Amino acid sequence: MPLSLLELFPASLRDRLERLPETLLLSLEEIRVREERPLEIGYGGGASFVGPDGSICTDSASAYRPSREDCRALLERVTNHSLYAVEEELRRGYVTVPGGHRIGLAGRTVLEGGHVRHLRDVSSFNIRIARARKGCAATLLPELLDPVARTVRHTLIVSAPQQGKTTLLRDLARSISAGEWHHPQASRWGGRKVGIVDERSEIAACDRGIPAFDLGPRTDVLDACPKAEGLMMLVRSMSPEVVVADEIGRPEDAYALREALHAGVRVVATAHAIDLRDVFARPVLAELAADGMFGAYVLLSRSGGIVRHRVVGAEEAEAEARKSAGCRSVPVIRSPNEGGARHA
Amino acid sequence: MLKLVGAALILFAGTMIGFVQAARFAQRPRQIRQLIHALQRLETEIGYGQTPLPDALARIASALTAPVSSLFAETSARLASGSGETVRDCWERAVRAGWPATSMREPERDTLLRLGETLGGSGASDQLKHLKLAAHQLQAEEQAAREDQRRYEKLCRSLGVLTAALVVILMM
Repeated sequence: MPLSLLELFPASLRDRLERLPETLLLSLEEIRVREERPLEIGYGGGASFVGPDGSICTDSASAYRPSREDCRALLERVTNHSLYAVEEELRRGYVTVPGGHRIGLAGRTVLEGGHVRHLRDVSSFNIRIARARKGCAATLLPELLDPVARTVRHTLIVSAPQQGKTTLLRDLARSISAGEWHHPQASRWGGRKVGIVDERSEIAACDRGIPAFDLGPRTDVLDACPKAEGLMMLVRSMSPEVVVADEIGRPEDAYALREALHAGVRVVATAHAIDLRDVFARPVLAELAADGMFGAYVLLSRSGGIVRHRVVGAEEAEAEARKSAGCRSVPVIRSPNEGGARHA
Repeated sequence: MLKLVGAALILFAGTMIGFVQAARFAQRPRQIRQLIHALQRLETEIGYGQTPLPDALARIASALTAPVSSLFAETSARLASGSGETVRDCWERAVRAGWPATSMREPERDTLLRLGETLGGSGASDQLKHLKLAAHQLQAEEQAAREDQRRYEKLCRSLGVLTAALVVILMM
C-alpha cells in the first residue's frame, strides 16, 4: 500500500493497518471503514476483517470497530479538511484523494426538491486503492489495432466493477501515447496524441493538473471534467487522435462520443456491465452500438489476481449478445466499417 | 552621583513600562482588524476559490504580519504535516501557542476557538455564515478595544512617567 494512503487514516486506524502482513498490504484493493461496525479489507479477490491488534480475522464479531471519532477524522482527512471544496463530489457519493484512490462514501442524504443536495453523517467509507500496472495492456493492444488507419479501433471495455477496467484503460492510454503497440506491423507507427477526460480524477490522479501516473509522452488530461463537455472541449482545443473516457453511459455522453467520431478521433471508453447482453440492455450503449460506434468490445474477467480479457469485434458482438440473451430480442449492432444495416 | 544615575534609570524604566503598556492598548485594535481582514480573505478563498483549507490558511498567513500571521501559518503547517489531527485540534493548538505573542485578549481568543470547531467541516454556505458571525463578533471587540485605547493609551504613558517620578522623589 502506498505510504501516502496510510497518512489519510487517523492514528487508531493507521496503527492497525500498518500491522497487516506485508504481502497482504501489497495486494490490498480496498479498505472498508464503517462506523461502529467491523473494519474490513479486500485484497486479491478475497476479503476479511481486521482485529483490534491488526491481525486478520474471519469472524466479524472479534474485529475492530472504528469509532465515531475515527470516522470524523477520516472524513476530514479524505476531504483535505475542506468539506466545502468537495460538495459536488459528496453529492455524487465519492471523493478522489491524491494518488488517484477513490473513496466511496455513504451516510444520510439531504434532499432538496427530490434531489440529493448533500451527504451528511458520513458513516461508511470504501477506500479503493489505485495502482498503475505498467504493461497490463501489452497483450490486449495488438488485438485492437486498425492497420489501415494505423491507430487503435473504437473500443469499449466492458466489465463488472472491480475487474481492473480503469487500470487497463490507464495502461492503454500510456501505450498508445508512447507508441508501444506490441505488434510487429506497428513498430514504426509511433505514438498517438491522446486526450483523457478524467471525470473522477481516477485515470490520471492529477495533482494540480499534473498526472501522478505515467500516461505516456503525448497525453493531455482534462481533470475533473464532466465527460460529455470534456470530450467536446478536447476535440475542439487539443486535436487528439485518440480520446479516452471512463464509464460512459449517460445520454449526453453518447452525443459527445458521436461528435468525436465525426471529428475523426478514435475513442477508447469503459462501461459498467457484466457481459455484452448487459451492454445492449442499456439504452445509450445500445444506441451507440446500433450506430456502429465501436469497432471492438473488450470483456474483462478476473479470477484470483489474474485479469483475463477477450476481444469481440463488432461483427461478432451481435451473435454473442443473442446467444447469451436466449430468445430475447437483441438490438441491431453495426460495425464502423460496414454501410448497410443488419437486423436482429 | 550614584543616586542620580539610579534615579535616571528608574525614570527610564518607568517610562518604558508605561510605553509598552500603551503600545499593547494601541496594538490590540490593529491586530483585531488584521484578524477581521484575514477572515474576510478566508471567506473569499472558501466561497469563490474553494481552496483547500491548508492552502487557504497558508496564503492568508503570507499576506499578514507577525504575530497574527503565525496563528494561520501554524495551523496550516500542522494540517499539512500528515499527523492525522483534526482542524479543531490544529487550530486550538496554534491559537493557544501563538496567543501570548499578540496583544489581544480573551474575548477574541474565544471567538477564534469557536470558529475553529466548525472550520472546514461543512458546506460553503455554512462556512461563510460561521466566518461572518466570527467577523461580526470581532468587530464588536474592535470597537471596545478602540474605546480602551482612547481611554488608557495616554493614561498608561503618563502613569509610567509619573510613578517613576514618585519613586525617585521618595528616594531622594
